[in-house]
Amino acid sequence: MSDPIRGQTAICGLGITEMGKVYGHDASWFAGESIRLAIEDAGLEKDDIDGLLVNPGITGMMGTGISIPLQGYLGLRNLRLLNHMNSFGATASAMVQYAALAVHHGMANYVACIFADAPLQQGGSAGAAYGGAGRRGPTGMASLMPAFGFYGANTSYALAARRYMERYGIANNDLGRVSVAQRRYAVDNPHATMRQPLTLEDYHNSRWIVEPFHLLDCCLVSNGAVCTIVTTAERARDLKSSPAYVWGMGQGHPGNFPHAEIEVGTTSGATVSGETAYRMAGVGPEDVDVCEFYDCYTYTVLRTIEDYGLAKPGEAIGLYPEDPADPEAELPMINTGGGQLSSYYMWGMTPISEGVIQARGSGGDRQVEKHDIVLCSGNGGTLDTHGTLILSPNAN
Amino acid sequence: MAYDKPLPSPDEQTQPFFDGLREHKLLLQYFPSADHYQYPYSDRCYKDWSTDWEWRESSGNGEVYTWVRMHQLYHPSWKEEIPYTLAVVQLDEGPRMNTNLVNVDVDEIRVGMRVKVMFEDVTDEHTLPKFEPA
Repeated sequence: MSDPIRGQTAICGLGITEMGKVYGHDASWFAGESIRLAIEDAGLEKDDIDGLLVNPGITGMMGTGISIPLQGYLGLRNLRLLNHMNSFGATASAMVQYAALAVHHGMANYVACIFADAPLQQGGSAGAAYGGAGRRGPTGMASLMPAFGFYGANTSYALAARRYMERYGIANNDLGRVSVAQRRYAVDNPHATMRQPLTLEDYHNSRWIVEPFHLLDCCLVSNGAVCTIVTTAERARDLKSSPAYVWGMGQGHPGNFPHAEIEVGTTSGATVSGETAYRMAGVGPEDVDVCEFYDCYTYTVLRTIEDYGLAKPGEAIGLYPEDPADPEAELPMINTGGGQLSSYYMWGMTPISEGVIQARGSGGDRQVEKHDIVLCSGNGGTLDTHGTLILSPNAN
Repeated sequence: MAYDKPLPSPDEQTQPFFDGLREHKLLLQYFPSADHYQYPYSDRCYKDWSTDWEWRESSGNGEVYTWVRMHQLYHPSWKEEIPYTLAVVQLDEGPRMNTNLVNVDVDEIRVGMRVKVMFEDVTDEHTLPKFEPA
């Protein structure tokens, strides 16, 4: 039994800007480009937009991110819904969810959900953008972190990955298989930043960042923006592009408590979030055709596959061929645009944007043949927050 | 050569913890109403929201919850140390601590390995609680 809201709302417009090392613009500029592309995609006019939800990326923590003033910058004068949201990598799913609930109940008709970021500066490193550069030194207990040499999300995810790998006997080569598989998809994705084919040897030769992570275990850092426009199924039907109907929505936020009572690192919020979304959609893991999973690191993909019930704990790697670079090897239908590892890092909008493309069947050379049920995940903190969207080209 | 790595910067609430380190004591917050040890410092117990607590000295015993080798240089002062070992240690009292593992052969480190606290007096005013094999 599905929920009555299944298929009643849809993503009707998608705007993906140029991605990666695109310099000379701030996050607001990228946001403007993304909403312009999204209304063009949907066949809407600017004045049709009556809802705006925004999520800044890392520039939100550096003081230069998009927020409520984006309304003024874009001249949106008809807003009936407006908010700045943040549950980190789970935000994009949550924005679409709250937008869907709002349009379903008549609070707004067309809600633009925008993620925009511009942390990369010419001559600066990607690591600097996420390593805490530009932020004030911590005091109190938090000041122990740099004193011990803990820096950035790379460290906290590597810690989580190590615990998972030792528990289930997962090797670095296994993480490499995920990285190489996703790159093979990125080769066929015109939006992707990294389109050079990759081998397992390349993976092993890439430098260590935080062992067990090589460089090629870590996502990109990108300048750019993605806008999705959410409306009712009824409105979406008559618009220019085919809708991606929202079948299921869920969230799960286990948090991160540093105490023996709570296991962290080898579980995520996907279990709870997935159950909620599956129930709403009236589907189960066996019905999923395509997965677009938040892949800040290779490890995150394996963990997420298992938490959605698509493999038993420790067995997600079994979905990947021994050598994914082999053109004869069949890849799992997971992160079909290359994901955050190889295409672009727009936090939770990376999986959703590729999910919309796959649901619509507009994936070109990388299009998955059967794409009735597309499962998208968002994940924030160190597996602390989680959001799920189940999309479909079918209204019911 | 003078110690040039980032140093802890205590605030009013956490000063007793850092003073404890100077005396080579690892202090944890103990909340009697929930019989709960908590770390890092918070002014409220996250179990029952009690604000009634006391400092108690930890046994300093625990096990490796997880660990990594840091290769990336984020701050120039770590240049000579890289790669160094970061760990999360599960204390026997319950809380988990971020720390460094020292005096250990990297090939020997495993999740679950028993460790005990050691105090490194990095400057005249600053001591860091690190862990070594028990």
